Parts: sequence; C-alpha cells; structure tokens
Amino acid sequence: MSTRDEILRAIQENPLPVKSHPGDFQAYVHSEDPMGDFQASLKTVGAQIFFCKNGHEAQIALDGQYPSMVRYTSQEVVTSGLDLEDVEVLEIQGEFGVGENGAIWLRDDHLPHRVAPFICQHLVIYIRKSTLVGTMHEAYDRLEGSYADFGFFLSGPSKTADIEQSLVIGAHGARSLTVLVMDN
Amino acid sequence: MLNHAEASEQFIQDAERTTWHDETLWFVRSKRDKASKVIPEWEDLRDHASQIKDHVLANLGQYLIEFEAKAKANGVHVHWAKDAEEHNQIVYGLVAKHGSKALVKSKSMLTEECHLNSFLTKKGVEVVDTDLGERIVQFRDEVPSHIVLPAIHLKKEDVGETFHQHLGTPKGNKDPQFLTEAARQHLRGYFLAADVAITGVNFAVAETGEFVVCTNEGNADMGAHLAKVHIACMGIEKIIPRRKDLGVFLRLLARSATGQLITTYSSHFAKPREGQEMHIVLVDNGRTRQLARPEFRNSLKCIRCAACFNTCPVYRRSGGHSYHQPVAGPIGSILAPNFDKKSNVDLPFASTLCGSCSNVCPVKINIHEQLWFWRQDLMKEGLAPAGKSLSMKGMAWILSHPKIYRLAGAMGRFVVKNLPFLVNNRLNPWAKQREMPEAPKESFQTWYQSRKS
Ligand code: SF4
Repeated sequence: MSTRDEILRAIQENPLPVKSHPGDFQAYVHSEDPMGDFQASLKTVGAQIFFCKNGHEAQIALDGQYPSMVRYTSQEVVTSGLDLEDVEVLEIQGEFGVGENGAIWLRDDHLPHRVAPFICQHLVIYIRKSTLVGTMHEAYDRLEGSYADFGFFLSGPSKTADIEQSLVIGAHGARSLTVLVMDN
Repeated sequence: MLNHAEASEQFIQDAERTTWHDETLWFVRSKRDKASKVIPEWEDLRDHASQIKDHVLANLGQYLIEFEAKAKANGVHVHWAKDAEEHNQIVYGLVAKHGSKALVKSKSMLTEECHLNSFLTKKGVEVVDTDLGERIVQFRDEVPSHIVLPAIHLKKEDVGETFHQHLGTPKGNKDPQFLTEAARQHLRGYFLAADVAITGVNFAVAETGEFVVCTNEGNADMGAHLAKVHIACMGIEKIIPRRKDLGVFLRLLARSATGQLITTYSSHFAKPREGQEMHIVLVDNGRTRQLARPEFRNSLKCIRCAACFNTCPVYRRSGGHSYHQPVAGPIGSILAPNFDKKSNVDLPFASTLCGSCSNVCPVKINIHEQLWFWRQDLMKEGLAPAGKSLSMKGMAWILSHPKIYRLAGAMGRFVVKNLPFLVNNRLNPWAKQREMPEAPKESFQTWYQSRKS
C-alpha cells in the first residue's frame, strides 16, 4: 500500500462524530471608519501614508520620501528575479486595503516578478480610496472567485524582533513602505 | 539527557536572566491581551476557529484528498510521508535530483520535528536557516527555544559574540539594528544563490489547493520566489476547508502570537511561477495516532501561535530548552508523549495546571486538561516520575477523605509555619529559588465556617 493510502486508511479507521462547519463568521463588528482604521494600522506597522488627489501630488510625496533614489515603475514581466537585485524603490499597484490591520492585497500579475516587492530596498504601493474594506472577513468576501497564482497580504515594511525583542525594521524584505491612497 | 526539572534548575542559576526571560514573555502576553481586546467579537472568533478545526479533524481524510487534487491541478507535486524518516528522504531526493549543495529554509516547526537539518547535513547538503532567530541558534549549534521567538533565551551580548565569530562583526557590538543589518547582508547572498527553498505551511486550503505562509521578515518569500524548486513541508492537520476560513485564522494568529495586527506577509501560494517546480510534503509522523486518541485529539487543532508558551509561568521561568523537544511549552508537553512516552514522561508534569494556556489558546484547546490526562495515563503505565506518582497517590487519597484533608491542611499550615525547612528543602524541586509563603493562621474552611455562624 502506498504511504498515501496508509495515512488515509489510518484516518478512516477511526471515524469521528459528525461536526459541521460553522459557516461564514457573521459576528463581526462593522467599522464606522475603515479609512481612519487603515491610517492608524499603517502607523502601528511602521508604514507611511499619503492621500493624493492625482499623480502630480503622488510624485511630490515620493520625491520627498525618497530623494535622489531611482524609482522602478515598470510592470513589464522580468524572467529572472535576480535582475531586480539592485532595485532601490519599487512602485506597484495594490488591489485593496484592510482597515483593521493595514494589510494590502497584492497579486503576481500586477508585479514584474513575484520576488519584486521583497527584493527591493523600499516599496511604494498605490491603492484607490474606494477599495478599502474593514476586516479580513470582508477582504476574503472580496476575493471570492478572484484567483491569483500567487497573492499576498502585506502589512508594513519587513521587520524582526529576534534580537532581545528589539524591533528592527528592514529584515529581509523592504526597509520601508509608503502607501499612496489615491482619490480614484 | 536532563529531565525538565533538572534542566530548569540550570536555567534559573542566572537569576537576572531568568527574570528578564520571564518579564519579556509576559510583556508579549500583555501585547496579545491588548491586541485581542480591540476586537469586540474576539471570543466568538476563538469559538468559530475551534469549530472549524473540529470539523476538519472529523473530515480530515476527505479534505486531504480534496487538497491533493486541487494542488495537483495547480501544477504542484504532492508527496506523502508517514514519518520523519520518509519526509527527510523525500526532501533529500528532490535536493539530490537538482544537484543542489546548499538550500535556504524558512521557519518550519515540522522540519525541526523531523530533524531535517542534521539529516541533510550528514548527506553533505548545507541548510541555511533564514529566519533571523533561527540563524542565530543555528550558528550556535543550538535549537530554537520558542516556536515563534527562536532565540528568546539569548541576550544581545550573546548574539553580538556569535555574529563576531561567524560573520566577523566587530567584537563587543551588540546593537540589534547593526546586527540585523549584518544578517540581512549575509543571508541575501544565500537567497540569490540557492536553487532550492524550503518553507513551512501555516494553512493549506482544501477548496483551492493554496497554502499560506506567514512571516514578518519576508524570508520565506525571498527564498521561494528566487529558487528553482520550492518545497513546502506540512503536517496533515494544517488543512482548512475554505479560503474564507482564512479570515478567521489570520485575525487570530498574529494577535495571539506577538500582539501584532497581522504578520507583515501572509503569502498565498497556488501555482508555481513560470519555470519553477513546487512541491508539498504532507506528513503524518504520529498525527493519525493522536487523532485516534479522543482525549488528545484536540491538540491537532494547534496553529502554533505560542500564546500558551508566553503565558505559562513554568515556561517563562524554565526556558524552552528544558523541554528537550522541538516544540516546548504547554502544547509541546502534550504532543511529545505521543512520539515517545518514556523519554517525555517529565513534560506533562512541567505545569502547574493553572489553565492560563487554555484561556489564551485561539483555537480553544483544553491544554491543561490534556496535561492532566497524560499524567493519569503515564501513572497507569507506571511511567510517572517516582516522586510525582507517590505524592499524587497520597494527594488523591487525602482528597477522597474529607476529615483527613482537614487534618492534613492543619498540619501543612503547622509545618510551613514552624518547620519551614521541611518544605523548603532540597528534595522539593519547587522550593528552589523560591521562598515559601507565610502560612495563614486559619484555613479557608475554618474561616468560612466562622463567617457562616
Ligand atoms: S496550543 Fe493554542 S495557544 Fe498553544 S501554540 Fe497552539 S494554538 Fe497557540
């Protein structure tokens, strides 16, 4: 018998009492101000946030944030992630944001390469104001039926506290995160 | 090998460090409290998570089959391993097939459980742990002392010295920012060069065949997205039915673990990228055995958040290494006897049964009750440590005889008050580094009786 069948048989040998799936989590409290929550969450996770009416305002914000750094804006697919090794600032488009934890959903078909938002030194994400949701439940409702080969929630710059619990920003991923919330 | 009490005795030799360890973990526990209290529906969430896990365990076979089919349809290779040995062989087979001499690995308690590192090292493969805490303990030839904070037993001076020896950082430099930067530079080289990346799995979704990996550092992603081969290793209990269930678990996990709102990265891997090979290894290693034991089945609901470690008064003052198991703390003490009763008899006794672990557990595992069940089981089989079984038998006898219970209480108060050396002696391991409290003049019972009359 294959290991697979052995494991499955071991499981089936001991049928357990029926326990039904509890269904969707209904008990969550809707936020009155997801944008206020989002802003507060981003502060907690160590990210910068700017509200911009248009591209011009976004450029001014970024010039202030990352003076004299080269910004990589192309979404064109690159075959080897190693080609992005020297990217200083990467600008990408996020799908939507989550108020309660500052997470932003990103998917690989909007990236030059899956490793791009990890290998760059600094990360800039544009999201539309209207896309904000309150909780993770709403986030997954929104993702229902939308399928990415690789997708992820990102909340803040990479960090660690593995040395005596001292928080250090910039572990292996981006050293800073700037979120630009666009009017439309 | 030292048992838990003996190893703890060594740990508490350094009183200052013990206090630091204790207070630091308590601080993490307090952060968990704060992060959970801002969610008004927190208790409902725990209930919900617990019910989803119960449902999974009751239908595990079916969900594994569904997950396998979906993952395969996504172009992912699925392997099954009945034990640690088979798991290690599968991983080695893949590494050898690609002629790889070095690989990068992100945190995976399963690979610790299977002792994958030493297995691969013996075969001449260099394994580079990329989580900062894990890299630190790997340099020191140690194992993680905590499943979320692997190097929590170390002070920054220790890390500075270790990095001085292994990475050539200036002697005496113990600045966390500086040392983290040194590790970033050092590990980047490995990320860029590695052909194979191994990651753990936090959740595997039967409905879509996706698996989710959560980190703060970004090391799992750096490894997986650059390597030609990604191997994800998971215990069979990591399955959840639907993608929507992730909403429940991702809200609970980081808040319970470190008091964060969510981990920095929650990555959903569905298909390999263009030109990449992706493998999943589904591992039993005693899990089906635990599933068949009604009183311990619940332990398989664990999402490895470590909240039970941080809150445990015994863990905080004895350190992870005293548990001599890859998973320490209260949950480790329930899992370990399932692997081997004899060498782990001490662990279910390494608890005060205060129940704090069960109170914080995000999936509502009855941890302290299971510790108690193991004690009974080990006693029945005559495996319990000698002192414990004697005193437990004595205690059971006293508790079942109310008159003697009252007398014993009076005697106890007399002893603590007039003959403190009898309890404060070297034979009582719990008296080490502790002062016994002053005994009350009257017992709770006499006080209660006098209040009633
Ligand atoms: S037993 Fe519960 S509290 Fe402990 S690590 Fe597992 S999920 Fe967390």
